[in-house]
Amino acid sequence: MLFRKLLRTAGKYRAQFISMIVMTALGIGVFVGFNTEWYTIERDTASLFERTGFADQRVIDASGFSHDDLEKVRNIPGVDGATLYISFNTVASDGDTVALTVTSDPDVSGFIVTSGEAYDEKNADGIWLSDRYAKENGVEEGDTLTLGYKGLNFTGRVAGLIKSGEYMICVPDPTQLMPDYSTYGYAYVSPAALRQLTGGEFYTQINVKTKLQTKEFREKIDRVFGKTMLTVSKDDTVSYAEAMGESEEGKTMGSILPVLFLAISVLTMVTTMHRLTASEKTQIGTLKALGFKDGTITAHYTSYAALIGVTGTAAGVGIGMWLGWFIMNPNGSMGTYIDMDDWSLHTPPFVWIVLLLINVFLIFIGFLSVRKMLAGTAADALRPYTPKKMRSLLIEKLPLWDKLGFGAKWNLRDNLRHKTRSAMTLFGTVGCTLLLVASFGMKDTMDAFLDTFYNNAMNYSYRINVDTEKATEEDVRSLAEKYDADTCAQASVQIDGQTSLVEIYGISHDTLRFVGDEGGYVTLSDRGAYVSRRVAEKFGVSPGGTLSFSKYGESEEYTVRIEGVLCSMSESVVMTEDYAESVGLKCPAGLLMTKADSVGPDPLIINTQSKQSIIDSFDTFLEVMYTMLVLLVGAAAVLGIVVLYNLGVMSYTERYREMAALKVLGFRDRQIGGLLISQNMWMTLIGVIIGVPAGVGVLAYLLKALASEYELDLHLGALSYVGSVALTFAVSLIVGLMISRKNKKIDMVEALKAQE
Amino acid sequence: MENIVEFKNVSRVYKVGDHEQKALDGVDLSLRGGQMTVILGPSGAGKSTLLNLLGGLDSPTSGTITVDGQDISKLSGDGLARYRAEKVGFVFQAYNLIPTLTVRENVALVSEIARDHLDPDRMLADVGLADHGRKFPSELSGGEQQRVSIARALAKNPQILLCDEPTGALDSETGVMVLKVLLRMTGQYGKTTVIVTHNQNIARIADTVVRVKNGRIQSCVTQTPESVDEVDW
Repeated sequence: MLFRKLLRTAGKYRAQFISMIVMTALGIGVFVGFNTEWYTIERDTASLFERTGFADQRVIDASGFSHDDLEKVRNIPGVDGATLYISFNTVASDGDTVALTVTSDPDVSGFIVTSGEAYDEKNADGIWLSDRYAKENGVEEGDTLTLGYKGLNFTGRVAGLIKSGEYMICVPDPTQLMPDYSTYGYAYVSPAALRQLTGGEFYTQINVKTKLQTKEFREKIDRVFGKTMLTVSKDDTVSYAEAMGESEEGKTMGSILPVLFLAISVLTMVTTMHRLTASEKTQIGTLKALGFKDGTITAHYTSYAALIGVTGTAAGVGIGMWLGWFIMNPNGSMGTYIDMDDWSLHTPPFVWIVLLLINVFLIFIGFLSVRKMLAGTAADALRPYTPKKMRSLLIEKLPLWDKLGFGAKWNLRDNLRHKTRSAMTLFGTVGCTLLLVASFGMKDTMDAFLDTFYNNAMNYSYRINVDTEKATEEDVRSLAEKYDADTCAQASVQIDGQTSLVEIYGISHDTLRFVGDEGGYVTLSDRGAYVSRRVAEKFGVSPGGTLSFSKYGESEEYTVRIEGVLCSMSESVVMTEDYAESVGLKCPAGLLMTKADSVGPDPLIINTQSKQSIIDSFDTFLEVMYTMLVLLVGAAAVLGIVVLYNLGVMSYTERYREMAALKVLGFRDRQIGGLLISQNMWMTLIGVIIGVPAGVGVLAYLLKALASEYELDLHLGALSYVGSVALTFAVSLIVGLMISRKNKKIDMVEALKAQE
Repeated sequence: MENIVEFKNVSRVYKVGDHEQKALDGVDLSLRGGQMTVILGPSGAGKSTLLNLLGGLDSPTSGTITVDGQDISKLSGDGLARYRAEKVGFVFQAYNLIPTLTVRENVALVSEIARDHLDPDRMLADVGLADHGRKFPSELSGGEQQRVSIARALAKNPQILLCDEPTGALDSETGVMVLKVLLRMTGQYGKTTVIVTHNQNIARIADTVVRVKNGRIQSCVTQTPESVDEVDW
């Protein structure tokens, strides 16, 4: 029987029940969703890495490694597997770039076949092609593919379509944010095919599976080869680092946002359960008078909270799984970035424990609320709930108080009389503004980031990769002159045992601009080197200080004076040719940047990359990000509407008699509605005043969490501020209007008949 | 004195589920201006419905109600609000003061809606609560709260004062005191007063006594009122 009462009461207080369920579901949805996202990334990528033998370390030497070298590495204690490996860019017949890869041991840095023939190391003309690239370019199994490399052509048959951990995030270089399979892909061939193409076997890498720490591994490698070797750990590879970066982002999102939603949900539960049990007090008393035990009544009312908790949790888990799937599916936002075969969703176990605790907590709130109403004898419980008596407020002593109209006084006292409800309203508006500011701010920040780097800093139309093995210094110079190009030489270096990048620029045609730490563009000075923010932070250097590094494979150490800090796309040390020369650092320029409209074929040019193709890859990136932001803005609106509506209905119920009295006195519905709306507006104003800086704070925190991936400067345009504030007010006004429409239904006779 | 209130064949039917319940059934009634009328009847007789219709809290299902020459039976929501603001004052059994406004603010509240309102401080002084203006209703006794309610009702300077069981929640001693205040004030300000009650004794202080039963007027008797002190409470 009591269960029927439970359902009917839920129907009676449906606005409260629904809003609490929605809030709980939203909080849990965001919590489950983002946690599922990062955990799925970690689990599924780990699975792909495991099945494709993703290497933990890469030993690199441009002069090549032999099978003897491989054996030496394999014999190092702690090395579980090693392979000779090479990957070089080839040009397909339609001009696309395909990274052709060979691994002597398919168990290390290998691949999985998604369709077609299994890998056969004796197959000399078989190509195992990226299935994403094949799909994007209409290539099928059995098709013939010709790949060109430095004037040599390799023609083979597509034996199978594959996925590889090494190319899980398939970008030609870190400046390109998103994969673009229409122009860039990868393929594996057997060592036999490599021999056919190049007339021999030549490997620039030994990729290693090992559980050794990077430092220990490097020491052992250096000892084996008798010199400092360039080693790149998986932490420095795009596939691993970016995937882990995505996972970190998910963790951040999975911690900040759910806390906000769940805090609001719990506080709403406190307010609403109190209100519900207060208005049911006479019924509680009646049940007690009828002889129901306190325990039975407590269990009955506590089951209200349980009903909300369980329904909200079920809906929340549904929302969370949908959110997880929305982000983590082969055609979803992460699918455009990460290329995996298995997208099964995984939720971290702690999530279920947290959900259980949340439900226990919600039920506990219900328990406390009803216990308060049950206190004393049956006669005590039968007496209707009496709200706290009014006391004069401190501000009433101010001369300003007497100048306030009746509405302002009525609303102010109501706020102070129902502090929890008011605090909750404030919390709701703060949350709404905060989410809007953070979302719009994220968009502004990314827009500014893209505008700064891609629209303005990259002032070239093409990047030309020169074959530094063939081209002499003179060749590069004449190529640069031909295209009015600026030059860049890159070298991997070791700083304090860690891998970093040095870039030496010869800029005279303004094809590339450098962004200063404080914003704006800086002209590189010949007086010193510049470090990107991440390098400055990682090695604790600042302008005026010095930084020492050595090139891989060389023992000579170079010390540079830090001239400035740059906000940069890459984690690098940047300097001019003249400064590099002054410290004795010499590297052949392998990259040219030109404003020319087109670049013709040249045997010295490996490939070219147009700025447009880089920019095109942003679109996918932006699409992904904007979808997330739209979801967040939607969540902000739902949060605002649900919280304000619930509390509005509560305020309306609590003041029903007062409003009935006003109506009897002759106040019109519009006037009473105006009073309710003005209260909402004032609360919103305070909420906005708190919410805007809070939103900026959350945004700054999010950017800090992203700092390892992007050097982002917080940008928040005037329009975003205005938009966030206007939207919050709009939500508040809409809810106010929805509530005030109820005034027409106030039954003056019934309301005023009731007992005081 | 002329008739200020005219009920002509007024019925009020409430729908309760599938059933229709006639709260008033073809009531004809005239009330004279400046007089005190007491409406008596048992519970469910229709006396409160009569008062609610007269006060513009409800509209009749059929028939017309004219107050001071204005037909209020067809007024819209806003029209009724204006009517309540200007023409009638209400005193309820449960006082219905706004708990978050002080005593003075409760009385001054009417200045927001009534054009011809009276000075709230004077009204409070008249009901003997000049010193209680800054208190909240919850800090007053029941009798005091009802006096505030009378002050608030009369502060609008209405033509008619409607009282629904004004002493119903008070002990007899306090009830007598409130009635005295009510009589003094309505006399002082020359108001037409209608009191709905089931207390037969209150009928003895009225100019006219209307008895209601089963939604119909049973009798309407004009009499010479006794003073409050003469009545054996």
